[in-house]
Amino acid sequence: MAGAYRRRPFPLPKGKAALASDLASRTEEPQAPRVFRPTTKSPLGPVKIASAASAVAPLLALLAILAILIHQALPAIKFNGVGFFIHNVWHPGNFYLQPQTTNGVLHPAQAEYGAWAIIAGTVLSSLIALVIALPASLGAALVVSKLLGPRVRNALGVFLELLAGIPSVVFGLWGTLTIGPLLSRDVYPIFAKHMPDVIILRWFRGSTGAGEGLLTSGIILAAMIIPIIASTSRDLFAQVPKLTEEGAEALGMTRMEVTTKVTLPWVSAGIIGATVLGLARALGETMAVAMVSGSVLGTLPTNIYATFNTIAATIVTTLDSALIDGTGLAVRTLAEAALALMVVTLLANVGARLLVRKVSTTALPVGRGV
Amino acid sequence: MTDESVSQAAKPEEEYMQDLAPRPVESASTNSTDPARTVIEVSDLTVGFGKTTIISGVNLTLTRGSIVALIGPTGSGKTTFLRSLNRMNDKVRGYFAGGSIRIDDQEVLSDHIDLLELRRRVGMLFQRPNPFPMSIRDNVLAGVKAHGLARKSEHDRIVRENLERVGLWNAVSGRLHDSPFRLSGGQQQLLCLARSLAVQPEVLLLDEPTSALDPISVESVEKLLADLVPEITFIVVTHSLAQAKRISDHTMFFYDGRLKESGPTARIFEDPQQPETQYYVSGRMG
Repeated sequence: MAGAYRRRPFPLPKGKAALASDLASRTEEPQAPRVFRPTTKSPLGPVKIASAASAVAPLLALLAILAILIHQALPAIKFNGVGFFIHNVWHPGNFYLQPQTTNGVLHPAQAEYGAWAIIAGTVLSSLIALVIALPASLGAALVVSKLLGPRVRNALGVFLELLAGIPSVVFGLWGTLTIGPLLSRDVYPIFAKHMPDVIILRWFRGSTGAGEGLLTSGIILAAMIIPIIASTSRDLFAQVPKLTEEGAEALGMTRMEVTTKVTLPWVSAGIIGATVLGLARALGETMAVAMVSGSVLGTLPTNIYATFNTIAATIVTTLDSALIDGTGLAVRTLAEAALALMVVTLLANVGARLLVRKVSTTALPVGRGV
Repeated sequence: MTDESVSQAAKPEEEYMQDLAPRPVESASTNSTDPARTVIEVSDLTVGFGKTTIISGVNLTLTRGSIVALIGPTGSGKTTFLRSLNRMNDKVRGYFAGGSIRIDDQEVLSDHIDLLELRRRVGMLFQRPNPFPMSIRDNVLAGVKAHGLARKSEHDRIVRENLERVGLWNAVSGRLHDSPFRLSGGQQQLLCLARSLAVQPEVLLLDEPTSALDPISVESVEKLLADLVPEITFIVVTHSLAQAKRISDHTMFFYDGRLKESGPTARIFEDPQQPETQYYVSGRMG
């Protein structure tokens, strides 16, 4: 077999010899051998300019939004001070009295703003949504990508993406009219009655309200972000090499072990990314939350069913009345609240990046970290 | 370990029952007829997916502690056969199997078999290295932990032992907690071998285990198999005739879903009885 190969004339040795003699003749020359370096710079053309512009555009947009927001919020930042992030009083002041000046900012008499409750409400409702949505999405994604046949899988995939496209006002309406009252009448009382009076679970006790509140908002938000996390996770699970999962199976692992030890860790960085995508949506969600939060300002929720408010919902529901404030402080304060929301979202993103870095150092394929 | 499994296999009553059962006529026995030395016995095996039959009428007996090479052209059913032995085909759509596969006198093609335990006893190494997304150490321990084979205090010893067995200890002892994906392809495959060895299998199925490796890694894997062989039985699917010649004691030639010929490797390569075998081993096919 091998002999048959050897008998054939092969042109390579000839070429090699030629190359060797060529090299030999070159080394005899006193000059340095010619070094070829390919040109990496392409000339500046319309394509390059256009792509550079579109690459820079998002960054410029972000910077512009931030700059304008800070500029808008500046008087409010001066007036409200650090107290804005600590206390809960939300009082636009008395517009009938003579406006006063504090810290060089003109404001209505008795005006006082504290956003701690709405910052906490924003974070809490989103966390509740995440706690519900993450396992549900991962479960759905696993079932869709690993257990179902291709036909059902595609149909369900389309359904998931359709769900992601439902306008938030529809979710909000569904929450206030149907799911909120239903839950507060038939489901919440069961929790409220049977939850033990211990740390965290204590939060599930007490008055269940009329259906508008923290838990209902969390559930509605979960329904809104499940399609986002689930469809991203489904694509991620599809990327896990079959050979690796089979290896785990061939080692005698149960399906559960294969999933938790191999499939999920393989895509953990991506799952974190998908989760942050969902979290960002939940943090910034305005309409649906404004409709099911109960829109109470200035108080912290006392249990998980209590009415509350988020930053985004506060901005949209109080903007109209804020415009009445002749000194402009109310609107400036809303700008400051918006700035706080951006910071919260940004912090969530940074936190996720740190988490991804931590996850991907130990055991993930090279280059999988974000 | 070997002694234990031998005694397990030799249950006199079942032996007797076996003798009564009608023997397949064209039984492709490797050589030994001693039942205590038989680790796998396949009779009249037919495997297919949906309406397609992939392999049919396979009869063979494998001797404990040998290296068996499965050769044959692409699509001849070698891999399908191999994956039937540890039931890895179960999840494939429309999979069916007829006949019988007995490993240590236990019927594999049965709903009563403990699938997880079967896969512990009959391990598998794949075409390409497939380390898990966890540290090198956890990779070695993955199966051990899943089967609850050892206490936590023994883990260090198990990791070291199995990495030493595959000759990887010196290379990775300083970075046991690092990602396995930074190792070279050959090292990754050795790690996968260590992972398989850690659960103390009796049989290892190797599906073209060196097809993605460089020649030096191939050599180290082959050498390892030779070292491990009295303890573990290896069944190797290979497309490299040279490899089959080098490492195996017995060679089985699959052709068109049938076991065309089987026997001692030297005999198969030097004096093949079937025209297809002759054609294939002379390198004129596949």
